[in-house]
Parts: sequence; C-alpha cells; structure tokens
Amino acid sequence: MVTPSSLPSIACLVPVIAGCLLLATGTRRRRYCELVALVTAGLLAVVGVVVAVRVASGNILVAWGEELRVDALSALMMLVVGVIGLIAVVYSIRYSTHGQMMETAGMGGPERRPAVFYALVLMFLGTMSWAVVTNNVVMLYVAVEATTLSSGLLVAFFWNRRALEAGYKYLILLTVGITFALLGCVVVYAGGAATGTLTGADTLMLSRIRDVAPLIPRPTALAAVALLIIGFGSKAGLVPFHVWLPDAHAEAPAPVSVLLSGVMIKVALYALARTVSIFFPAIPQLTVFAVAVGCLTMVVGVVLAMAQDDLKRLLAYSSVSQMGYVLSGIALGTYLGCYGGLFHLMNHALFKALLFMAAGALVYATGVRRISQVGGLARQMPVTAACFLIGALSIAGFPPFNGFWSKFTIYLALANSGLWWAAGVAVFTSLLTMVAVVRPVIRVFWAPPPLDGLVLDEVREVPAALWAPMVAVAVLCLLLGLMPSLAYDTLHGAATVLAVLGGS
Amino acid sequence: MISDLLPVSLIRTLSLTLVITSVLVVETRRLRAAVVAYVVQALLIVALLASFAAMNHALYWWAATALVTKALLIPWFLLRYIRKTGTEEVKPLVGFAPSILVAAVLMVAFFRLTHGQAALLVPSALADDEVLRTNLAVASTVFVLGLWALLTRRDAVKAVIGLCLLENGIHLGLVSFAPGLPETALFGVASEVVVTVFLLLYVIEGLVHEFGTTDTYRLRELRW
Repeated sequence: MVTPSSLPSIACLVPVIAGCLLLATGTRRRRYCELVALVTAGLLAVVGVVVAVRVASGNILVAWGEELRVDALSALMMLVVGVIGLIAVVYSIRYSTHGQMMETAGMGGPERRPAVFYALVLMFLGTMSWAVVTNNVVMLYVAVEATTLSSGLLVAFFWNRRALEAGYKYLILLTVGITFALLGCVVVYAGGAATGTLTGADTLMLSRIRDVAPLIPRPTALAAVALLIIGFGSKAGLVPFHVWLPDAHAEAPAPVSVLLSGVMIKVALYALARTVSIFFPAIPQLTVFAVAVGCLTMVVGVVLAMAQDDLKRLLAYSSVSQMGYVLSGIALGTYLGCYGGLFHLMNHALFKALLFMAAGALVYATGVRRISQVGGLARQMPVTAACFLIGALSIAGFPPFNGFWSKFTIYLALANSGLWWAAGVAVFTSLLTMVAVVRPVIRVFWAPPPLDGLVLDEVREVPAALWAPMVAVAVLCLLLGLMPSLAYDTLHGAATVLAVLGGS
Repeated sequence: MISDLLPVSLIRTLSLTLVITSVLVVETRRLRAAVVAYVVQALLIVALLASFAAMNHALYWWAATALVTKALLIPWFLLRYIRKTGTEEVKPLVGFAPSILVAAVLMVAFFRLTHGQAALLVPSALADDEVLRTNLAVASTVFVLGLWALLTRRDAVKAVIGLCLLENGIHLGLVSFAPGLPETALFGVASEVVVTVFLLLYVIEGLVHEFGTTDTYRLRELRW
C-alpha cells in the first residue's frame, strides 16, 4: 500500500539543515555542537526504526510525488544509517576530545573545529539517507556523490600528511569513479525513456523504469551495467576499484571510519543493487559475472588484510573482503541470496562499527596502531579486549555470533544456485578471515608484549563514554547471533524487493 | 527531424573549437593559460547548450547554470589557488610530443567509435540524428582527454583541471543522452562539480602546506 509520509523527507533534510546551521553560526561552544549532533542523530535513528516498523506492515512510504520512495529495501538501509549514525555520534563525543583531533590548524582554526566536525558528520548522515530513499535515477547519482563530498573533509580531518594524502586520493578517485555511474544512470534513464511507455516524471523514477527494463535493448543494458559497476563499484570498494578505501578508512578519525566502513560503502552497494538488478530478469547471465566480482573482492581483500601491521588498515581491507560477501549474496538475485547478502550487510555494519570503535579505543588509550608494537593489553583494557574479540569472531563467522548466520545463508544460496566454486571461495575466505582478524586481536590483547615493543604500564581502560557504545553494539551482535529471527521481518521484506529471479 | 530546428553549421563550428580548447587545456603547462583555455571552453559549451535549446527549453537553464558554474565559479576558485600554490605545472609523466600524439590518437579513435556506435548508448530515434551523434562524439572526446590528463599529469591542480574537463565531456553528452532531462537533475549534477573543485583545492592547499609541493608523486606516506 503506497502511503504519503513526511518521514523520508525528515530523514534527508533535517540532518543537512542542522549541519548547515552549525556551519553558518560557526559556534565555538563544543557542548552546543554535541547537543545538536546528538539530538539530530537520535531523531534519525528513531525515524529509521519507525519507518522500518511501518514498512514491515506492508506500507510503501512516498514523499514529494514519488521522488522519495521507501520500500522494504530502503527501510533496511535507513535503519542501518540511523542506528550506526547514532552510535558514531555518541562515540565521537568523547573520542574527539582526545589528542590532536580538535587542535590541529586546518579548517578555520581549533576553536571552530567541533562545529565543522559535527556539521560534516550530520551532512554525511543526511546525504546517505537521501541516497537510500530517492527514487529518481539521476538524483541517486547526485546523492551518492554528495556523500563523497560531505565526507571528504572528514577523511582529511586530522589535517596531517597522511590524512591529507588520504583525503586527496579519496576525493579525486571517487569523483572520477562516480562519473561513470552518472553515465550509467543516464543510460538507464535514456533506455527507459526510449521504450516510449513512460511519460513525464515517471521516466526518471526507478520504480517505473524497473517495470520497463526488459524492453531496453540488450547492448544498451550491458553498457549501463558496465558503467554502473565501475561507478558505484568504486565507491563500494569492489576490487579492482578499492585502492582509495584502506587509505581513507584508516586515516579518518575512528567515528568517521565507523561511518565509512559501516554505512557508506553499503549505501554505494545499495545503489548498485537498485540499478543493476532491474536488468537481471532480462539478462540472467549477469548474476554469474557479479558473483565472480564478489568472489574476487573477497579473496583480494582478505589476502591484503593478512599483510597489514596497521590495525586500522587491516580492518579496512577486511571491509573490502566482506563487501565481496554481500555482493555475492545479492548478486544471485534469488530470495535466499538476497536474504543472506542483506543480512550480512546489516551484520557487517554492526561488527565493523564495533571493530573500528575498538581500534579507536586502542588508539585512544595507547596511541598505537601497529600490531607488532603492543601485546597483553587485556589485563589493562578488559572491556575493549572483549568487544574487539566479539567483533573479530563475528566477522570470522564464528557461531554463535551474527556473522555466522549471514555467511552460512550466503554459502547455502551460492550452492543452491549451482555455483559450487563460489561457495568454496566463500568458505575458504572465511577461514582466511579468521587468521587475518582474530590472530591480531589475540596478539594485541593476550599474547605477551613484544620485547622491543613500547612500554605501556600506564595504560588504562577507556572511559565509559567510549566503551558504552561498543558494548551496546557487541550485545546486538550476540543477540542477532542467538536469535537471528529478530531481523526476519525487515530482511524478508527487503529480500523480496531485491529478489527478481525465481528459485530459492 | 530535430536538426531542422537547430543551427547545424554553428553547432559544428562550436564543437570543433571545443575539441581544440580541450587539447590546449591538457597540454599547456602554464596553469593560468590552462584556466583561460578552460574558460573559453566553458563559454563554447554555454553557446552549444543555448543552440540546442530549441529542442528542449530546459536547456536554457542548463546553459545558464553552466555559465555560472563553469565559466565563473570554477575558474575563479582555480585562479585564486594558483596564486597560492604556484603558476607552473609540475613536469608531467609524459613529455609534450608523445602526449600530444597520444591525445590525437585518442581523439580520433573515440570520435569515430562514439560517432559510429552512438545507437548503442542512446537507444532512441535521436541517435540517428547527425547533430546529436556529432555532439556525443565531441563529448566523449573531451571526456577521454580529461581522463588522459588525470592519468599522466603529476600536478594536483592540473589533475583538478583534468577532472573539470572530464565533467565537461559528460555534461555535454547529457544533451544527446537525455535531451528531455528536467532542470532540477541538471542543476544537481552541475553544482556538485563546483563543490568538488572547491573541496579538492582546499585539500590541495593543505597538501602544499605539509608537503611543500603540488606533485602527487611525492605523496608517498600511504603504501599498501
């Protein structure tokens, strides 16, 4: 049932307006900025939950004509944006008081930095909400590019050599990459318009183009798919377009890494799935190609992760690898594949947010990011150690954590579609993930400190303002692992939207 | 036929000059001159869009937006930063003679490819129209020259100019791809480029402050 609603417009407008106000007033009062950010992010999370509940009961929410349209798939994404966004904001309040973050010279002097930081975070959240609710194929490109622009300065926020280099690469590579997505979106639009069955504003609406997609000539469809995979794929960190990702995700402040790895790359993958899946019924061979891209991404990501000594870069590469899982799942186009892929998308948002927060806590407490420099910290930082371990076991697909169920569903779906090789690659990658992620965690927290390592006698557990959001997410990971049916309503609807091919 | 509505020979002349300005933008090593060539190109695009506007009046808005963003705002940003970061481009990866040779080959190849295969990308009756095919071919040529600049130029500011060239190609192509595109979509697409250029130049200023150069090959902090 299509219902007009103001919730989608609230989700994309309020954070952007709040961000603009913070920038415009240029306030120097940190507390005031934090309050605005908290209230707005809280509102976004509440909107996400309310929308998910309303959509789960069979509604499709629309606004501004059909310009914004929230079906079950968009609702799932809004939930992810809202919840992880709130967690990142809560975490930043304490994290941003630490070290150099608010003291370096860039962006209008130290006293303005809190306002700039929270304003950009809010705009980032608002543009991501817009990207997941828009139904306009050209605006989808505009919104995804807007997420790059709002997060570009956040990546470079430390304004030192490494951060600036990462920020420059991030902006230029993603802008060039996403240009291909613009071409792809316009080809989709032109193809839909040329079928002659759509009129007026309908020619731009993805939900309408989807109905006429089988009429679009095959060469045009293939050209569009190639352009979209380059464009949105580079933003989603798919191999071989992933080179910006480890730099950006590792050099950004921890709460921003949470948003980049936890939410942004999923928004890009959502955009890819939305646009490419409309061609699946007409060209089912595309699914095998997309699964192959997913498998390549999985393996390359995890192999590069194993080579890292820098904890945050390791986590960034493992994000690449996990995006491969999500893609392999939803690329199948079957219900089971989409269910598994979207479940993994949701789970990865949770446990990658947890891992980046825990890595941030480690940096907060010790100032160290290199795995080889520390060891045996579990005694001094028990909560961080436990959270890190839970995150690592989840990402490695260990029962009883949430990652186990989603990965297991993806294996089943791949095997069910007859792609045994892909299922094999996925299982193998999962084993490598265990080595890549769990081993460093053991080393940092439980192994004896290295002889030539730093002397860290005065290390203490991080304050509650940092560990509380971590514990909350860790509990969610465990809860979804013990009771995976909790997410069923949301995921079932979303998978039904995305599953355009028959079979199980 | 659409071409009956349009000043065909004017469009031809403008398109040809447009390609020449792209080569100038890519090959000039004095950054100010490159920006001037870019402004000329922007004005040509505005003129082209205005001549196409007979078939879709939304294109008048598109032309006005292009005038403000491409001919005024972006060059203004660029010139302001060039004053701070230096007027001479860092020596490019590929020398002048080979670069212009490759650029020429790319131009001819892409022009012919797009001109011949226009129907593949634009599956409508419009693709059969000679004027729109030529426009698409010009657009793809500008696009590929921008990509060439991005790949072979070491200078960060020049990379930004290359990015602008790439976007010019795309925006010009939209006329052929989607003549009926509404102005809100066009406005969104055009304004993002301005923000991108602004942010990139802002970050480059920081880079110059930290690294003392706009040479992107000296950005070697992050490996693997």
